[in-house]
Amino acid sequence: MNTNLSRRHFLRAAGSAIALPALESLGFRAFAAEKIMVQPKRMIFLGFGFGVTKETWFPDVKQVGSGYTLPEGLAPLARHQNDFSVIQGLSNRYSQDAHWGSTFWLTGANRFAEPGQSFHNTISVDQAAAAKIGQETRFASIQLNGGDPGLVEHHQGHGPGLSLAWDAGGKPVAGLNSPALLFHRMFSPETMSLEKRQAMLAQERSVLDAVLSDAKTLQRGLTKSDTDKLNEYFQSIREIETRISKDEQWLGVAKPKAPIDEPSAKLHGKDEVKLMYDLMVAAFQTDSTRVFTYRQPTESLVASLGLKVGLHDMSHYAPGERMEASQVRDRAHSGLLAGLLDRLKGVRGADGSSLLDHTCVAYGSNLSTVHNLENCPTLIAGGGAGIKLGQHLVLPKNTPLCNLWLTLLRGVGVEAERHGDSSGVIKEIIG
Amino acid sequence: MKRISLFQSFGAGILTLVGLISVPLYAATNPMVEAEASASVHAEMPTQHREFFEKYCTECHGPEKQKGKVRLDDISFRVDTLKKADEWAKILNSINSGDMPPEDAKQPENSQKADFLEALSQTMVVARKALSDQGGNITMRRLNRREYQNTLRELLGVEINVGTLPADGSSENFDTVGSALFMSPDQFMLYRELGRKALDLSFQMAWAESKVQKHHIEPELEVSQKMEKDLAYWNDIRKRYRKWTVQVDAAARAPENGKLVAELREKTKVTPAKFYLEWEKIGGAPAPKDFGFSDAIDANMMNERWETHVPYLVEYLTQPKAKTGAYLCAANIQRWVNAHVPDQWPAGEYKAKVRLAATKEAPEKRRFIDFVAGFPSNQVLSSHQVTGTMEEPQVLEIPFKLEAGAPRGFMIAEKSMLGNPDGFSFHDILFQEGYNANRVGPEFAVWIDWIEFEGPFKTAQVAESLAKIRADLERLQSDQTDVRRYLSNFAEKACRGRKLDEDFLNRLVGLYEARRKDGEKVQDAIKEPLTVLLASPSFLYLAEPAEQGKPRLLTDLELATRLAFFLWSSPPDDELLRVAAEGQLQKPEVLAQQVDRLLASPKSDRFVRPFVQQWLGLSRLDFFQFNIRLYPEFDLPTKANAKNEVFETFAHLLKKGDTLSKLLKSDSVVINGLLAGYYKIPGVTGDAFREVSLPSGSPRGGLLGMAAILAMGSNGEQTSPVERGAWVMRKVLHDPPPPAPPNVPQLNRLSGKPLTTRERIAQHQEDAQCTQCHRKIDPVGFGLENFDAAGRWREIDLRPGVPQKRNAIDASGVFFKGAAFKDFFEMRDLVAAKPERIAAGFTEALIEYGLGRTFGFSDAALAADIVEQAAKKNFAIPEFIHALVASTAFHSK
Repeated sequence: MNTNLSRRHFLRAAGSAIALPALESLGFRAFAAEKIMVQPKRMIFLGFGFGVTKETWFPDVKQVGSGYTLPEGLAPLARHQNDFSVIQGLSNRYSQDAHWGSTFWLTGANRFAEPGQSFHNTISVDQAAAAKIGQETRFASIQLNGGDPGLVEHHQGHGPGLSLAWDAGGKPVAGLNSPALLFHRMFSPETMSLEKRQAMLAQERSVLDAVLSDAKTLQRGLTKSDTDKLNEYFQSIREIETRISKDEQWLGVAKPKAPIDEPSAKLHGKDEVKLMYDLMVAAFQTDSTRVFTYRQPTESLVASLGLKVGLHDMSHYAPGERMEASQVRDRAHSGLLAGLLDRLKGVRGADGSSLLDHTCVAYGSNLSTVHNLENCPTLIAGGGAGIKLGQHLVLPKNTPLCNLWLTLLRGVGVEAERHGDSSGVIKEIIG
Repeated sequence: MKRISLFQSFGAGILTLVGLISVPLYAATNPMVEAEASASVHAEMPTQHREFFEKYCTECHGPEKQKGKVRLDDISFRVDTLKKADEWAKILNSINSGDMPPEDAKQPENSQKADFLEALSQTMVVARKALSDQGGNITMRRLNRREYQNTLRELLGVEINVGTLPADGSSENFDTVGSALFMSPDQFMLYRELGRKALDLSFQMAWAESKVQKHHIEPELEVSQKMEKDLAYWNDIRKRYRKWTVQVDAAARAPENGKLVAELREKTKVTPAKFYLEWEKIGGAPAPKDFGFSDAIDANMMNERWETHVPYLVEYLTQPKAKTGAYLCAANIQRWVNAHVPDQWPAGEYKAKVRLAATKEAPEKRRFIDFVAGFPSNQVLSSHQVTGTMEEPQVLEIPFKLEAGAPRGFMIAEKSMLGNPDGFSFHDILFQEGYNANRVGPEFAVWIDWIEFEGPFKTAQVAESLAKIRADLERLQSDQTDVRRYLSNFAEKACRGRKLDEDFLNRLVGLYEARRKDGEKVQDAIKEPLTVLLASPSFLYLAEPAEQGKPRLLTDLELATRLAFFLWSSPPDDELLRVAAEGQLQKPEVLAQQVDRLLASPKSDRFVRPFVQQWLGLSRLDFFQFNIRLYPEFDLPTKANAKNEVFETFAHLLKKGDTLSKLLKSDSVVINGLLAGYYKIPGVTGDAFREVSLPSGSPRGGLLGMAAILAMGSNGEQTSPVERGAWVMRKVLHDPPPPAPPNVPQLNRLSGKPLTTRERIAQHQEDAQCTQCHRKIDPVGFGLENFDAAGRWREIDLRPGVPQKRNAIDASGVFFKGAAFKDFFEMRDLVAAKPERIAAGFTEALIEYGLGRTFGFSDAALAADIVEQAAKKNFAIPEFIHALVASTAFHSK
């Protein structure tokens, strides 16, 4: 009990210590007050699961550096060519599951690393980033999922997981499944008075204390694997405690006014993606969070494009109908991404710089193409992590994808020593 | 004692396992093998493959050179550490991807390379399995979604929708495997939300009048009125149109219009009505606007629609029983009958009684109705065969659930006339066919006399739960009991006999008192601690604490709990608890009795469906939509019934104590009227599934002849012999192919050309990386090619573009390194001759599901014992369950 309280006191103390200066640097205030200040770094990770059409997505390996010809699959991004780089040669060397596009994408973990277990994962790069750059916002990070039914059971090109994110213990982090949910989480105003909310938070703490007490009793006599299981419960409660601490810090701060309209609850496929992108920009405008992951819809996206080819069939494309469908899907993805970059460019701070100048967008999948896990499709946009833009880079085959994640982490100011199976940063892309 | 190894592959004995030697199982020369569970089980690459390395690899990766720092001449063939497994995975990967041997080096022959790859793939499967073996350890698990819902139902007498909780399990695991059941902060919040919802509903129902109510609907009251109105509307249109055209014709007769009119008449002589579109040119002709039409096109169109509308409407109104009931129509005039449950009726179990009949003219396939949820879901809830006649209508009873806050509207329509994916409209086609034949419309097939809603019905158990909730709460309200005792009693039931720790109990009491201090009433304040309890670890986890971290035998109560969750997916009932409390449950004969009792209960459906669904991977059937244009008969109701056939067949065999072998081949099927129609088996009517004898020579009978199984092995348009073959290898032959390897170059050489399925898949033979597995998988799939994508029998494959002389189905083949078959029937006989194989797979699934842990090598002896015991009883299905429940593993933590 004591340890519990003291940890909580620490959280509170830490919270109040960082709360004030943090509030001053809030992005949305900066825009409102038209003051010049250092813009915070932000990250977005977009995973699309099943891979791409190899022939028309990857630029020609003979054209490296700037001024390369954009292949057809990336053509909708032409107007942004100077604001992103395409990187080839990256792989997660432990990945073996040919239909898992997202499970290890941001972690680089070895599924079999733990003896006696058939599944193991480690922290994802977004969570590693959020631990540092997510401290000052209402939400340390936000995880989004496509609203496809059957995603959990059938993976639909993404593999197991509850979102792209995995926590420090390698457990799946749950995500929000619709733009409407995201909107409400960020912008729905509190209907209760401050006192009432304070009282509620206090009550919430008694609830957490109660279940923690039960968990501790249960813990007695458990075997190691049972204890590990119960730790997920402890971890969940602790995270809620952290949320409450955050809520307390933010009690006096009203939720920001939404810069966009409330989305309809019934959006699927490409409409969903577009709205999620709009909401990400809105979140950055209001500095509600600085880290997003989005495990994108696959099945419903394909359906919304009017394609009649099944998702899995499409991933196993061959010249003809299936390959054409796969290409349509690639272009649709690129078009949607171009829209996001437009909007990130469109929001400018007082210093004239745009949101995109301070945001790092990572776009890709652990699946390259068909059953291939080598040369993960990778596109990095925006100035957030300080990497060279407008480039086509071809790295030696099987360069660890985690080297890129490490480079991005360092780029946004997280002093990580390594990430996943990284062997160092990618010097060639540091701008 | 004869023990059998469960881990051999179909053909070659390529693995060497310490203590578990793999030998082709059913070969005549099968030596008896002791299969002992052993921690030292490991994978070993057969040494004859060293030769492959020596020939093709060691020049660059040997004693002299170690390109890429890889050396293969001295590599250990024993794959017993994670590090070695990773090294071997790299070797497998680089050969699969075609990187090794390099293009300019000496290349192995295709068959040699395929053998090497096959051996290595299998070795890796064994290695991964051995290295991830949990050593018989059962990880404590939380209730999965189903169990959580069932537990709340038993405890609180209410059923709540748990769809907001994240789905459990995946294609890799059963949803009972503890290590794969996670917890997250959002989930904790959801448990509180759902728990609160269940308590609100339960308290509300505990005090509600428990009277069964009735609501009677005579559909003709709504329908006839609507029809009469409709008829008047259309007749008015016709009248106005007539008036207008008569006046246009009159103007046309004026001499000054003569020449122009003659030209116009000539131009429109094919469709004379088009003449009126030119009215503006005719001097003195009145405007259609004056007659209530927006323009001439509108006037003509409405007049035309009269033709396809009114005769059918008149036909309807002159039907013999149109005044006393409602006919279902193909066209929009009356495509469905609305039935609305009164808004104030509470949530619960209800019944819709429908008095209805099929008309004399109704064709067989139209003697079905769907019971459909109204707007906005429009989901078909159930389908029913209409067996009543106009002389003797039947009363159909349709049970359904009403959820709190859910819409109250329902509809009855002919099968598949509503709610199809893709917006595909069967009714349009049906109407068009009928109209083309007689200029009226299709015959009326189903007549509905009345609909009656009745409910809510409470099962004895629900009534009992609610009565207890109310009595306990009334005691608390009247101070006959204190809150501490109330909570403690509730918790003991909720947590399956577990007593709460004092500190936790104190805190729960504190939560209650805080609410009371805020002025809440007793029955409101108590919900707070109860909600917290229903989100606490003691409730959510099936905890079986060890003694000093060591395995031990379960207590009677724990055993009762494990058994009830295994066979009912819910907590033990009073009788099971009583037997446990009396210390009787560990007695083998008592335990066996209880297993029989649990299996005989309707609650065992909660075992049959989730288990069979996951064992056989049936969720794949819901994974894609069928192309309804190609397979109009495989509509949603048929698909749902086809899936039910699998469950009903298993349940039937289980109940009869029949053998698992009947899943391989049987001279009977378990079907209902709808499926009988689909399979073209005469003489079966009604919705209830029952055993039906098959005519000789029928391809049905057994899993391989079931529409659901065959349809899963397709993509909704075409068959997939690979998908089907792999399924048979995994589920029936117990010889699962290794997971599809990554990084294999794709074969595209023949893409775009019209090929038969067999020709297309024959490409797999060209490349060793593909051949290694596909030479085993594909022949099995070809053996099933006589079934089309929707599981109907066929002799030719109507693939577009394939010339006729090539499209006759050839289902002959040869099992890899095994027997040949000339058609489906011979293949099925070969499969049916080896019931031990499906028995082994079934046993592993049962262990995994029942014990809540992935099946590992350390379970080999347990599995062998169960198979052996069941084999003595000719693989009777209940024997497997008895053997598992009687095993030490089932009794141990």
